[in-house]
Amino acid sequence: MAGNFWQSSHYQQWLLEVHDLKRERQADMKVLTEEEYNKIMIFFTNFIQALGEQLKLRQQVIATATIYFKRFYARNSLKCIDPLLMAPTCVFLASKVEEIGVITNSRLITTCQQVVKNKFAYAFQQEFPFRVQSVLECEFYLIESMDCCLILYHPYRPLLQYAKDIDHDDSLLQMAWRIVNDSLRTDVPLLYPPYLIALASLHMACVIQQKDAKQWFAELSVDMDKILEIARYILALYEQWKTYNEKSEIVELLAKMPKPKTSPSRPPSQGPSGQEGQTEVIQGSQGQQQQQQVG
Amino acid sequence: MQKYERLEKIGEGTYGTVFKAKNRESQEIVALKRVRLDDDDEGVPSSALREICLLKELKHKNIVRLYDVLHSEKKLTLVFEYCDQDLKKYFDSCNGEIDQDVVKSFLYQLLRGLEFCHSHNVLHRDLKPQNLLINKSGDLKLADFGLARAFGIPARCYSAEVVTLWYRPPDVLFGAKLYSTSIDMWSAGCIFAELANAGRPLFPGNDVDDQLKRIFKLLGTPTEETWPGMTQLPEYKPYPMYFVNTNWPQVVPQLNARGRDLLLGLLVCNPGRRISAEEAMMHSYFADLNPSVKQG
Repeated sequence: MAGNFWQSSHYQQWLLEVHDLKRERQADMKVLTEEEYNKIMIFFTNFIQALGEQLKLRQQVIATATIYFKRFYARNSLKCIDPLLMAPTCVFLASKVEEIGVITNSRLITTCQQVVKNKFAYAFQQEFPFRVQSVLECEFYLIESMDCCLILYHPYRPLLQYAKDIDHDDSLLQMAWRIVNDSLRTDVPLLYPPYLIALASLHMACVIQQKDAKQWFAELSVDMDKILEIARYILALYEQWKTYNEKSEIVELLAKMPKPKTSPSRPPSQGPSGQEGQTEVIQGSQGQQQQQQVG
Repeated sequence: MQKYERLEKIGEGTYGTVFKAKNRESQEIVALKRVRLDDDDEGVPSSALREICLLKELKHKNIVRLYDVLHSEKKLTLVFEYCDQDLKKYFDSCNGEIDQDVVKSFLYQLLRGLEFCHSHNVLHRDLKPQNLLINKSGDLKLADFGLARAFGIPARCYSAEVVTLWYRPPDVLFGAKLYSTSIDMWSAGCIFAELANAGRPLFPGNDVDDQLKRIFKLLGTPTEETWPGMTQLPEYKPYPMYFVNTNWPQVVPQLNARGRDLLLGLLVCNPGRRISAEEAMMHSYFADLNPSVKQG
């Protein structure tokens, strides 16, 4: 759906305000600091990235999955659904929506098990605890929470155009591309339109590579304040990375993370049918290995 | 399904049963499409996802509205705007007669819906009378986007075998893997002729071979001159060079000369030469279109 961003559900429903995010995260903020929350989100973004790479998905599909993940937790507390289940569900749904062919469930679960074991053993003491049925059910909640807005726009395509227009060598594009990928580890994709994220990344790349693009940006007639706002989010991430050692901190953070209750519950974004779908408990990572099937 | 009272079964869609239902609060009549979730691997079927995704982005008076998606255990229900009938049933009730102003109005609305889809880079890919819904006020709406897909750059190979045979253009019948908005324009042409003839299909082929023969007998067998690249298509095979002397006033007796001219702009074998929805809407055939239809 190229070229119609301004009429898209992405623009109309899914560019959020900072205070929206703050409000929705209140429950989690009683347990976690903002920094801790961000670290958890970064961790699961990395998990999605690793899953996607293992499944040989294109970066665009990985980005879609990541933003699905962010959208869900922009509307729900971490305790609604274990992010360790939500992450592969997002990958599963994104691969269908982006029409790269369906990843079979068995392959998805096997890949989750491998990735947890081979790449994230420092974070999880036990095996990947979820089964196919949980992913399929979780998919429902995910679609519902996003109000069925599944088509996303990414900064990659505008970035390619801008980079071509600015007419510098490939290294500028490569660096800006990496910055766009990094922006997935911030709230930026929930707050700003993709073309601005592309411009901000390009701007940062120019600064880092000491390329003078002042004139080019001046002629764009875009709101430079917004571009600088985006850059600040990404710079804050880089600042955090300097001192953050995920390997040593994450176990404690995951232990502290709000978790699903053991009694059946639904996310707050209940469907209008209300009573329906008394569903199984969707959770699992810590100690809860048996999936409880209700109904 | 507390919110809706189920009334009666309307039909079977691409991926599930469709029911008529009433919203208990607002009394509004809606169509519920129940998506079957087979116990296999796929979860929510791709065809349903495609429809959900696209209809969420496409809001237009000539495209059926998706109001809501409800989920319960192992079931997903899409709540659509209700229309009284589809074009096929409408034809059945016509008894072989149709007002040519209605033909013009329906075709215009079909083109307007398509123009909107195409401007959003969405192909319908499965246009046929069963997928065009008609309500009491004479509004026509495109429905069943289960085979539709967004196309973007880069264009990848899309799977063949998507359009119902009768409305399938020759390029797709020859196995073309890369197609564009022109696929829908051919179907629109076939539907136009069928409309003008009050429901008699133009090319009711039995198989691919028969389908192509029917097309070429009417339009002439294309050549590498009229359609460069045709012989390179994956399933191309030569057909006899039919001697064509089509008497169009006999094929579509009710249609006036402007209508025939528009029809021939749509039914062009070479997909690159088929007119677009936007161009078709500006054709002189619509010069005397009822202004209330034009404004919608």
